[in-house]
Amino acid sequence: MLDFAEALLDPWSTREQVIWNLQIVFMGMMVSLSCGLVGCFVVVRRMALLGDAVSHGVLPGIVTAYLITDSLSIGPVWIGACLAGLGCGASIEWLRTKTPLREDAAMGLTFTSFFALGIVLLSLEAGATHLDPACFLYGEIGLTPLSPKLELWGLPSGNQALWNMGVVCLTTMISVIVFYRFLLVTSFDCSLARSLGMPVIWIQYGLMLLLALVVVASFESVGVILVLAMMILPPVSSAFLFHRLPSILMCCLPLSIFYSVAGLQLAYSMNFPISASMALAGIVIFLPCCLLGPNGGVLTNSKKLKTRKSSRDLSAN
Amino acid sequence: MFLPIWKKLKYMLLILVLSKEASVLKAAQISSESDKDWINQAIRFWTFTDPSIQIIALGAILIGINCGLMGGYVVSRRLSMFGDTLSHAVLPGIAVGFMFSQSKNEAVLMIGATLSGFLGVGIISLLKRHTKMKEDSAMGLVLSGFYALGICLITYLQQSPNGGASGLESYLFGSLVGLSDRDLVPLCFCLSLIIICFILLNKELLLSGFDPSFARSVGLPVDILQFCIWILMAFCIVSSLQVIGVVLVSALLIIPAATAGLLTYRMSQILVYSGILGALSGIVGCFLSFMGERLPAGPVIVLCSTLLFLAVLFFSPARGILPSWFRTRRRGQRIRFENTLKACYQVLESRSFSSQSFPQTALAQRRGKSDAEIEKEIGVLIREGYATRQEFPTEQKSELPSETMVSLTPSGWEIASRMIRNHRLWELYLTKEASYAPDHVHDDAEKIEHIIGEKTVRQIERILDNPQRDPHGKPIPSQDDIDRGWLSPPLVADK
Amino acid sequence: MRVALPKPLEIHDLTVAYQQKPVLYGIDLEVEPGSLVGIIGPNGAGKSTLIKAIMGIMKSVDGYVKVFGDSSRKALTRVGYVPQRESVDWDFPVTAMDVVLMGRFGHIGWFKRISKRDRSFASECLEQMNMLPYANRQIGNLSGGQQQRVFLARALAQQSDLYLMDEPFEGVDAITEKAIVDLLKNLRNQGKTLMVVHHDLSTAKDYFDHLALLNLRLVAYGKTEDVFTHDLLQKTYGGKLTVLSEVGSRKLNEKQPTQEAL
Repeated sequence: MLDFAEALLDPWSTREQVIWNLQIVFMGMMVSLSCGLVGCFVVVRRMALLGDAVSHGVLPGIVTAYLITDSLSIGPVWIGACLAGLGCGASIEWLRTKTPLREDAAMGLTFTSFFALGIVLLSLEAGATHLDPACFLYGEIGLTPLSPKLELWGLPSGNQALWNMGVVCLTTMISVIVFYRFLLVTSFDCSLARSLGMPVIWIQYGLMLLLALVVVASFESVGVILVLAMMILPPVSSAFLFHRLPSILMCCLPLSIFYSVAGLQLAYSMNFPISASMALAGIVIFLPCCLLGPNGGVLTNSKKLKTRKSSRDLSAN
Repeated sequence: MFLPIWKKLKYMLLILVLSKEASVLKAAQISSESDKDWINQAIRFWTFTDPSIQIIALGAILIGINCGLMGGYVVSRRLSMFGDTLSHAVLPGIAVGFMFSQSKNEAVLMIGATLSGFLGVGIISLLKRHTKMKEDSAMGLVLSGFYALGICLITYLQQSPNGGASGLESYLFGSLVGLSDRDLVPLCFCLSLIIICFILLNKELLLSGFDPSFARSVGLPVDILQFCIWILMAFCIVSSLQVIGVVLVSALLIIPAATAGLLTYRMSQILVYSGILGALSGIVGCFLSFMGERLPAGPVIVLCSTLLFLAVLFFSPARGILPSWFRTRRRGQRIRFENTLKACYQVLESRSFSSQSFPQTALAQRRGKSDAEIEKEIGVLIREGYATRQEFPTEQKSELPSETMVSLTPSGWEIASRMIRNHRLWELYLTKEASYAPDHVHDDAEKIEHIIGEKTVRQIERILDNPQRDPHGKPIPSQDDIDRGWLSPPLVADK
Repeated sequence: MRVALPKPLEIHDLTVAYQQKPVLYGIDLEVEPGSLVGIIGPNGAGKSTLIKAIMGIMKSVDGYVKVFGDSSRKALTRVGYVPQRESVDWDFPVTAMDVVLMGRFGHIGWFKRISKRDRSFASECLEQMNMLPYANRQIGNLSGGQQQRVFLARALAQQSDLYLMDEPFEGVDAITEKAIVDLLKNLRNQGKTLMVVHHDLSTAKDYFDHLALLNLRLVAYGKTEDVFTHDLLQKTYGGKLTVLSEVGSRKLNEKQPTQEAL
């Protein structure tokens, strides 16, 4: 028991460690929150696989921007990623409508080709860069504190990576709040959206743009594949707890804190990559929600069926 | 694939023997060539004398064939994204297999990977059946969750004493280096398994994929067949992992089969083409990866298959985009001269077929076009042999020095009268059978007259009981009229 | 001088295809305001497709649709659409009240808050459909009839002038069915126009004052007593216009030569 407590406190023993790890935790929290908020709409629009495709498809854009500008500053990388992501989505749509290919084959073909292109581009220039292809796959959030420090008006104010992610996180939160009604109605009922005069296609593109932004901001920390985990885990977990979309969105905040802290602890004790540990923490939370959650949990469902049957029998009599 | 049973067995035996031959090849190091001459490298590759080259080439070809064949059923049964999920879900199994065997023992790794894949598939099914979760969310969850677990385990193992040399991370993108003849064994085994299953279960797989409810109703164990497909997919993925890598192996399951689907509709042909395309992607990708030292094999092979797909999409003579575009243009030209011929008929009709030729100016009037345009159109007709033209000196009182008279040749007449018949027959069908108002039918008939086939014409003539006149009272040319080559006086009198 | 008000619905030469086969072929239709129109025809006749084409959910290959004289997207703001029950995602995390409030969004304005008045109006609509006690229930937790009533309450909340309903009577209990008929007649008496896809011939005669007989083509449209005749029904239900369907299919193929069914 004492060992366990020791292991828990290990990352927080010295002051330097606390500062270091706080930055990582904060970064992880912002990544999970952004991904989770976007993920709520991705899941509810049944776009999970499209989200997977787009998060792979942005790779050639990121790599090209990196090779051209020779830096990973967020501006050009985001533009490259958006272009690649939208190109990926547009190709899928074109293949689906103009060729005999069905939707799933169009998706699979497009995103794997884009991804392969990205890897090849990266490998061709790998000698000249410090980028490691594996970095795209699971990121290195542990290096967050190494990011260049910023100073605003002479005061130390965090580092560049945190600020970048902070801006993205804020943008995501604001977009979701401001455009909530649009996202809600277009996700639930497109024909009502049309009735209300909402520009359905623009909203879809807007969501995919937001997705690309979040992927770009997060890939350095968690890699492109675990972005999907961060997008899907919060909404599917909270869907078992709440039955209204606003509550599910708000639940992303406590969940993101848990993923980040628990992920860090797990990574420290088992020497796992932090990003993958965060995903594992997410699964650890998902399981009880799925089994015991009040809103459709597996075990609560069977209980509900029994009570509903008995009440129906009563009313019949 | 409708071969008699003994022939099927003969082919299976042949395949098994060949697989044994392949596994006898010795492993060899790919010697580091200080010779950077491209041509020499290329020659060295394509002559296949170097045993190490033989192995990697054979490996790439086998993977291409395996994934291509498998892909035929993956794409047609819409399992493409499922393949992607499965290929990520095997990662923890590889790590666990390594932990058990403490070495890169292929069999253990393969078994571990397959079991892990099945666990993932099982979890997806459970989630779908017992919760409100949708299939795509379940797949995304398993995909990323298992992947995360796999990454964790692999990182953990890399730090253990003998894990450092595990090369497990090469499973992410694949590599050709270090491929030995032992690695070819699972590939050959997988290939034999796939071919045997596909030959034996050909009809069953086809039916259960195309119409599962009907298949169930005739007693086919649809779920078991689906399970078989999953098992084969898992074997295929696991045996190809080392060369292609986890992330991209699903690409090979999709792209060659999708390309084959552009070339043909028949399943047996799709499988054959898909296998060939896969092998082609494999060998070319292998060659390119061999030439560029830093290029991992997986992505290059995938890009080759994508290029093949794009080539077929754009250039395939039957359904490619460019040939279709040319065909549409030619069709447009055909429609134009068919319309011209139709107008010729109408001009002749307006003159009660009193003479075989008519003035070019009358045609210009009828078509509502300028003389220059008509000049061109008639030129086309003459060139194709549908009309002839002659200059006739006019009467004294006419302003023009001479008048151009046009007359139709027999083949021109045939097309003209056929168009008119189609047009008027269709107008009659629309008014009689499809509740169209008579003033609404012209535009539709203008489009239909060019594409309606002879068989449909017979059908309509039967439905309408060999009609004589269209809704506007104009006579419909019969088949006799068309064959006769020219209207003879009795015909004119009848109408 | 009286200026003619635009008709609620004007369709000209509408052709809609699904997977290269024509589902609607050259439809011409004009509906007067204050009509309660039943759209009837055999399965696959294109009834739902007609509604979806008016809403712009399915693209037309030929022809046009004008809603209140306007063929742009703006015109749809005066249309209330009640979809088929099977096309709704019942697991979506919204309550009955949330759904009805969605119908008010057009009136609230895109970025303004939902006022108390809107909430009470939404409650009234739910009350009118006897669904107020279920306001906070997630929609998946309702019975078939209750779900239908929630969507009708939403249509009420939209305060539209033209209502399009896709099989509202499908799979509902007798009480709900009567409630729906009363609602439809009420709306018609208020001067609204309603187009309702209906599958049951036996009740079509009683529920609607106009009928549109549809089978790939518009076989007939007019007052129920004029159109509900043996001959016309025979023509509608008698059999598919196979030649028209095949030839129309070929015509559609000519336009897009690369798109072929696999």
